[in-house]
Amino acid sequence: MASPPTTDLFALVREPIDAPALVRHVRTAEDGAVVTFDGCVRNHSHGRRTLYLDYEAYESMALAKIREIGAQIHEKFSIDRVAIAHRLGRLEIGESSVFIAISSPHRPAAFDACRYAIDALKRTVPIWKKEYFADGAVWADGELPPAPADTPIAKPAS
Amino acid sequence: MGNAAIRVKVLFFGRLKEIVGRGEESVDLAEGAPIEELFARYGARHPELARFRASLVASRNQEFAAWSTPLHSGDEVAFLPPVSGG
Repeated sequence: MASPPTTDLFALVREPIDAPALVRHVRTAEDGAVVTFDGCVRNHSHGRRTLYLDYEAYESMALAKIREIGAQIHEKFSIDRVAIAHRLGRLEIGESSVFIAISSPHRPAAFDACRYAIDALKRTVPIWKKEYFADGAVWADGELPPAPADTPIAKPAS
Repeated sequence: MGNAAIRVKVLFFGRLKEIVGRGEESVDLAEGAPIEELFARYGARHPELARFRASLVASRNQEFAAWSTPLHSGDEVAFLPPVSGG
């Protein structure tokens, strides 16, 4: 997989995400658009009132997978710069868990790339969210990443 | 030398870490043993873990990997529950 350009920015952070800094990072004189996605901690889940969330990651692999998404969207869309930050640890209601900023000369590419990036992130990046409620906590239902199929192994005669 | 002993690092996350009681272990295996065999060992020790088998994916050296992937000395293996970032 090709690497994303070095002008891109990918990060896992334990402090609040500095969204304006990510927007400034991607915005250049070449660009006519910056599209952002701000993933926020919501106060309810499956009809229960959420108190807070705790995010955990396989950090080295998660960062590598986020970088792969960056490389993919450069291949697929005519975009300029990408910045993606995901926060880990305890997050309160209303805080940002993930922020994506993408610039492009013309807006359609940045819209499409941003949607692709958040969908791919939710499907393939090894990060897990535990939801805390007044009466307990659960690991959120997630998506199973696509993995290579098993190669058939010749079975010994039985 | 097909059965030389190798040592691999195994990582657990999320609910798997809670079941196993730790996030990281070193395990000795035979050279070339598949990921499936490593998982079976933990499944025998933690029946609750074995029940999650169908809803897990494996990784080897930080790439998603088939359960039949053979392991070599120094490999880093993880068993990953469905992901829920974002």
